[in-house]
Amino acid sequence: MSTRLDIKVHHLTRVEGHGDIVVNMTDGVLEKARLEIVEAPRYFEAMLKGRSFLETAIITSRICGICSLGHQMTSFKATEQALGLEVSEQTLLLRKLLVHGATMQSNVLHALFLAAPDFLKVGSVFPLVASHPDVVKAALRMKRLANDIAEVVSGRAVHPISCVPGGFTALPTAAALRELKRRLEEQMVPDLAFAAETVAALAAEIPGFTRDTEYISLRSDDDYALYDGDICSSDEGRVPVAEYRRMTNEHVVSHSTSKHCRVNRSSYMVGALARWNNNHDRLCPAALEVAGKLGLAPGCNNPFLNTIAQIVESVHCALDSVAVIDELLTRGIRDEQPHQEPTRHGTGVGATEVPRGILYHEYTYDRKGLVVAANCVIPTGQNLANIDDDMRKLVPEVLDRPEPEIAHLLEMLVRAYDPCISCSVHMLDVKFVR
Amino acid sequence: MGNPFCGDDGVGAAVLERIRAEGLFPGAELIDAGTDALSLLDRFAETGAAERLHIIIDAAKMGCEPGRVVGFAPAEARRRIVWDRLSLHGLGLAEAFALAEGLGAMPRRVVVVGVEPTEVRMDRGLSDAVAAAVPEVIRLIRAEVRADEADHTGH
Repeated sequence: MSTRLDIKVHHLTRVEGHGDIVVNMTDGVLEKARLEIVEAPRYFEAMLKGRSFLETAIITSRICGICSLGHQMTSFKATEQALGLEVSEQTLLLRKLLVHGATMQSNVLHALFLAAPDFLKVGSVFPLVASHPDVVKAALRMKRLANDIAEVVSGRAVHPISCVPGGFTALPTAAALRELKRRLEEQMVPDLAFAAETVAALAAEIPGFTRDTEYISLRSDDDYALYDGDICSSDEGRVPVAEYRRMTNEHVVSHSTSKHCRVNRSSYMVGALARWNNNHDRLCPAALEVAGKLGLAPGCNNPFLNTIAQIVESVHCALDSVAVIDELLTRGIRDEQPHQEPTRHGTGVGATEVPRGILYHEYTYDRKGLVVAANCVIPTGQNLANIDDDMRKLVPEVLDRPEPEIAHLLEMLVRAYDPCISCSVHMLDVKFVR
Repeated sequence: MGNPFCGDDGVGAAVLERIRAEGLFPGAELIDAGTDALSLLDRFAETGAAERLHIIIDAAKMGCEPGRVVGFAPAEARRRIVWDRLSLHGLGLAEAFALAEGLGAMPRRVVVVGVEPTEVRMDRGLSDAVAAAVPEVIRLIRAEVRADEADHTGH
């Protein structure tokens, strides 16, 4: 068994900055096991100062082209709370549909393009195309349908257009919604079932690592909370969204330009697995059935099963999307105008679940509806400390394996979190430091 | 393809703007795909797409002098997959073509029109060399369209 280990997996970014996995062990003592992220600050919070409340969501949605919709929704909620803007039931339903679409798309692409190749022990999705072409085609079909949900409801697949504070500037037709419903039932649901079967066959390949962890997500009385709810910690229960700063505690660390977060322990996890642990009782029966088949049980503390939780909740999202569309069609689409006359000015906090975890936006507006201060806490940032803690437990457990295998396992661990290291685009460059 | 906020990476968008402004290629569908290479697969899957000519304009490091314009088929270029597999960021043209080919989803004819950048960095606006290349890009597109029409109607 090796008592000395020096691993550095170096991810170069295409724009600037980098993310490295670094492990140092001497004489059997683990000195360092962490994900070091260095990326240039992007100044979004500073950019928002002085901007109108009509612009905030447009700007913050550009934080990321993949998580764009989530940023918009969270931004609207913060603005609407700060300025006292009511939203209608129809707006809530349409936003829930959008959130379901974004969740399904992101989860499916992560599970099948990023994580599944790990379970299949192939280097990337490209060998998957040869060995499992039907799964890749299903993933692309699901992505397309999720894009179309965004296009029908919000006017565009990336960076929604018709969503504004207080409502929508354009509404989908009943016919378009009916067509989405048909495709969800006839295509998305079977495709998800197929994806779940494929992953179930690979379940034995998922590393059996566990670590006692605090899980933080939204929780709601009404539904499986994605768009709305209170903050919920597996350690302390429900907490009002207004207390989000206490539930994140962003602090600077020496080895990363990204801040780390902690609440009741040295770290916590957000994302699909956190949502599963806190809210499995709100999932529809079909999703629970898939969870059973995939070996996902309540109180799961294996971060590698985050991918499984993504598939399970996607099944729920597909079926709940149908239910939401049914409700919209029963009510009839009403030609409503967005409510954009502020009834107060002050501070508002929005919290939603984006695919990678709980996202917070807080804004303070002045009487003219201009931003005075802004704060955004991104899910991937909240997971960084947890990734470090996982690595610190995992490395000593696998010391007897060859170094390349340890490095690969650590990369798999990082991938399991579905990190979106904002838009510092990364190029993989693997080096072993001796 | 490309990001107009990254200097010469905006050449694709600039060419599209010129085509629109001058009303060129009236039968063509003009699409700004930005940095979403995966969306090409959606395009290729559309009804009738397999039979059409697809021209993709993008900044390309080809080892030439800045502003040089080269048209090539994907198969003519040796492909290096550099995607890091941490997220869907960084999934580029090479990766999209590899996926399309593996799935048998490549259309009949795809041409990449590459323009060698002076520099790709966060900045608005094209360098002089690349801005000057826009007419050459359009000339090359015109030639490709004509050649394709000739080939196609010949069958």
